[in-house]
Amino acid sequence: MILNIKDQFDEEKGRWLIELEGEADVYTVNNFKERMHQLLDEKMADVEIDGTSLQYIDSIGLGALIGLRGRMADQEKVLIIKNIQPNVRKLLNITGLDKIFIIEQED
Amino acid sequence: MKGNNTIYKEENNVEVRDIISLNLPNAPEYVSIARLTLSGIASRMGFNIEDIEDLKVAVAEACTNAIKHGCGKDRNYSIEFLVLKDKLRIEIIDGGKGFDYKKVKEPDLTKPREGGLGLYIIKTLMDEVQIFNNQKNCGTRIIMSKNLGES
Repeated sequence: MILNIKDQFDEEKGRWLIELEGEADVYTVNNFKERMHQLLDEKMADVEIDGTSLQYIDSIGLGALIGLRGRMADQEKVLIIKNIQPNVRKLLNITGLDKIFIIEQED
Repeated sequence: MKGNNTIYKEENNVEVRDIISLNLPNAPEYVSIARLTLSGIASRMGFNIEDIEDLKVAVAEACTNAIKHGCGKDRNYSIEFLVLKDKLRIEIIDGGKGFDYKKVKEPDLTKPREGGLGLYIIKTLMDEVQIFNNQKNCGTRIIMSKNLGES
C-alpha cells in the first residue's frame, strides 16, 4: 500500500496545500513525516491537508498529524484538514482530535 | 493462509465455523496484508462497510502493537480469524516481551501526543476485547470480537 503526497505552496493564502492519496499507516507514515518536516524547514507556514483521496488512517497516521501540529503550534501556525472520508472522520471523533485540528468539509 | 469448512470446535457453546490463519513478519510493510485479508473475510460474512472499516483499523492497531512490542525483525506474529455464527473473532499473538496492559493509561484526549491511542481505538471500535500476557511474561495475546449486524 502506498501514500502519495502532492504538495504546493499557495502564495495567496500563504499556506502549504497537501493532497494525500492512499493509506496513512505504520508503513507509509515515515515518508509522510519526513516530507512534511522538509516542507516546514523550507517554509514555516500553515498547512492545509486535503483528504479527499485519503482512504485510510490509523493511530500511527494520527500520531504523525499530532506531531506535526505540535511543531507548527510552537510557531503559531495551524493545521487544517479538509474533505475527509467518513471513516477518517470517525477516528478523529473518537479520539477527540476533531477538537484539536481545524476540520473543514466542502460539500 | 488456510481455510477450514468444517465446524472446528465448540467452546462455551460458541460455534466456530471457519478459521483463517495468517503468520506475518514483524515488519510494517505487511500490516496491509492483514487489512486486506480482514476485508475479504468480513465482507464475505456480511459486515457492512462501516463495520469493515472499524475492523480494519482495529486489526491494524493490534498488528502495529505486535510489531512494536515484538521480538525483532526476524520474528513473526500470528493472526487468527475465527468466523463464528454471528461474530468475527480475531486473535493476534506476538512473541514479544509483552507489556503490562493494566498500566496502559487511558489517553488524555485534551492533550494529544503521538503514541498511546492504539489500544483505546481498538476498545472503542470492537464489541469485546481481551488482552493476555503469555506465560513467563513473554508475548501478548489480544482477542477481539465484533458482532454481525448490530449497527
